[in-house]
Amino acid sequence: MLTKRSVKVSQAQDNYRISFNAMASPCEVLIQTQDKHVVEQLAQCVSDEVWRIEQKYSRYDSASICSKINTSNGHDIAIDQETYLLLNFAEQCYQLSDGLFDISSGVLRKVWRFDSVSGECQHFPNAADINKLLDFVDWPSVIYDQHSITLPQHMELDFGGIGKEYAVDRCLLLAKKLTDAPILVNLGGDLAVTGARLNNQAWQVAIENPNREVPGQSQDMIIALSQGALATSGDARRYLIKNGVRYGHVINAKTGWPIVNAPRSITTVAPQCIQAGILATLALLQGEHAEQFLTEQNITFWARR
Amino acid sequence: MQVYKPVLKTFLHVNPKIKLFLLTAITLNLSACSSLGVEPWERDLLATKAMALTSSPVDAALDDHIYFSKEASSGGKSFGGGGCGCN
Amino acid sequence: MSNLDGKSKTMNKKNHLKAALSLATSALLGTSVATAPVVQAKEVDEWQFDSAFLLYSEADRVTAGEGILAGTKTFDDGEILALKITVDALTGASANGAVAQPQAQTFTRPSGNGQYEIAAGETPLDDTFHDTRVQLNAQWTQLIADNLTGSVGGHFSKEYDYLSLGVNGNVAYDFNNKNSTFSMGLSYFQDTFTPEGGIPKPLSSMLVGDSSSPEWDKEFAKTRLGTSEDKTTADVLVGFTQVINRRMITAFNYSYSMVDGYLTDPFKVASVLNNQGIAQDYIYENRPDSRVKQSTFMQAKYHFDDSLLNTVADVSYRYMWDDWGINSHTIDSRFTIPIGRVSYIEPHIRFYQQSAADFYKPYIMDDEVPTGFISTDYRIGEMTAVTVGAKYGVVLNGGNELSFRLEYYRQMPTNAGFVDPDGLNSIDVYPVVEAIIAQVSYSF
Repeated sequence: MLTKRSVKVSQAQDNYRISFNAMASPCEVLIQTQDKHVVEQLAQCVSDEVWRIEQKYSRYDSASICSKINTSNGHDIAIDQETYLLLNFAEQCYQLSDGLFDISSGVLRKVWRFDSVSGECQHFPNAADINKLLDFVDWPSVIYDQHSITLPQHMELDFGGIGKEYAVDRCLLLAKKLTDAPILVNLGGDLAVTGARLNNQAWQVAIENPNREVPGQSQDMIIALSQGALATSGDARRYLIKNGVRYGHVINAKTGWPIVNAPRSITTVAPQCIQAGILATLALLQGEHAEQFLTEQNITFWARR
Repeated sequence: MQVYKPVLKTFLHVNPKIKLFLLTAITLNLSACSSLGVEPWERDLLATKAMALTSSPVDAALDDHIYFSKEASSGGKSFGGGGCGCN
Repeated sequence: MSNLDGKSKTMNKKNHLKAALSLATSALLGTSVATAPVVQAKEVDEWQFDSAFLLYSEADRVTAGEGILAGTKTFDDGEILALKITVDALTGASANGAVAQPQAQTFTRPSGNGQYEIAAGETPLDDTFHDTRVQLNAQWTQLIADNLTGSVGGHFSKEYDYLSLGVNGNVAYDFNNKNSTFSMGLSYFQDTFTPEGGIPKPLSSMLVGDSSSPEWDKEFAKTRLGTSEDKTTADVLVGFTQVINRRMITAFNYSYSMVDGYLTDPFKVASVLNNQGIAQDYIYENRPDSRVKQSTFMQAKYHFDDSLLNTVADVSYRYMWDDWGINSHTIDSRFTIPIGRVSYIEPHIRFYQQSAADFYKPYIMDDEVPTGFISTDYRIGEMTAVTVGAKYGVVLNGGNELSFRLEYYRQMPTNAGFVDPDGLNSIDVYPVVEAIIAQVSYSF
């Protein structure tokens, strides 16, 4: 499904703003410069890179390597260096989370449909359906090396948990090669900066309050970011409600169920976006111990319950 | 008890048409309110600053002060009492 | 693998999560660990400020300037502290209640120190009003139980001759998935008034003569009742708000207010006219020592879509009635129209109409001098008023908002059924009062 691929460049007082849509999110790049030529180059470069990654790793795109792997029916699929590195990273995350984070949990999408528009619980799955699918959530049975991957039949991979943050970091690398101007790359709330803005001022980033539907509580949180990256994980937008219980969209790969009693939203900071993203997700997977988990790790974070 | 008498008397002496209108408005509202409203994910527009019941409290305070000083009515939306030696 | 081994393995993993993740990330991105950037992030202060300066200027009459600085801080658990300081200064002339005459008139200043003359045909205005007032407000709001919010606040206001202290409290209950809210509030104010020149004896004649003469002070003191008076105001406010749909929200309020104490305006006099309409005397007004006001208020806000420029319409109606015989209608409407991504324009129109108090008269005839209540203050007489204006706001880089508001306010007192004596044929008994309101605000 080809979505509209247009890139908009608009000028504000001391910076340019590049906006486009990708990965089902509004994406923007802010660059503090007066050089329109560089802005246009950057716009081209960043949007191309994000769409490239989306096309390559989206499980919704039938031409992507992800789809090829998912429809391989147990046969070997050739992979390139980038995919190999991503799979390695996924392996590390599996180990570090004791199996809670598992990119082969993609099959669970068959029963868990998180769509804040429909929201209602007609599609709420039962335990039997989930248990059937849990057989196919098993990262250790994925065999891969530098050149190819063999995914057992009926299993599916989902790069959604790391794709966006990876794209942010990639964009930043490319942006740094292109120019020295201060840049902020924000893909739907996962963002990173090349450094402080001119005059050593910090970038001001607003984190949406997940409780913003409550009157009198629409206060968003403002964070001053001078270095590094920021990722927010939570159920503000995608969740289901059944019998008054709110089920967030992060699924525990061991049980097949969404995490309960997790904070509504966690924002973490780390040197790179992909780190911040994983830390936020790992924390959410701890449910009610999310904050404790992050504090023990000495990670800067903000959680809202 | 002395306080209640004047209240009741005054309310009963309100233009009956107005009384009926108010009672209807309130009753209709209370009975219908369980079917009205939005789900939390539908509050995108309602959460904007322009849709707050008092979108600019500072403007409201300044205006209230002007009208409290120059007219015989005050409050209604918020407390109208006291404050200054105007009216 | 013994238990001990397994446990230490987990512990090690935990402690080295950050480091392990850094390594993994470097491997993925092809960056070296050594040059990995350090992170610098901190939460910005949660104070939100609103400031405004307003200028109110009546043609030939009062001019007032008012400045507000309000700060709001939201705490981690959603508690809100709101502090506000207001300073206003008033100068210029106000109507003293007497009616214009075909000949010049002389009045004594409220302080008793001096007289002032009003030209023939002119509405008598007293220009001794200069005052500066400072007001402080504080309000604390927090969740007290599931779906129940409570708020308490205090008010302090001081000007040269007036002190006002007040407290308020309210609770609000949300239900129906937070689509409905029921609230109830109480407020209590205690005011003390110490006007210059003291409190005049109600219905007594204004002493007009020569303030510098030696008997003046003694004679003037005879017209005085005391130096200061109090008044208390107790209000109850009951409210209900309901979300109708994604684009619309409504609110309904009822309020009951009891004011007790000194409600007379010590600076106002009533002209006593003979049957040719010529003033024979001026007497100080006299109002009841209590007033019970009630009002019902309803408001609706609607967010239109693209076809109507995404305008937000705000329309409200208030009906007020009290035991002085005054009832009033107020229709207020605003339309916020966004322009581009960062600015908006908001036209505003307000209609107001009030009926006269039972004891209001534009002047008194000398054959029916009252012994009860009387006031010629046009502000409690029959009147229609209109306000028309617009506000323009823009969000600056950095998220701060700057706005400008300009309005025209026109008060049109009307005749509540009095027949004027012939001598007032050339006189404007119900002069129109026009004012310009200009305001600039900055939120940061």
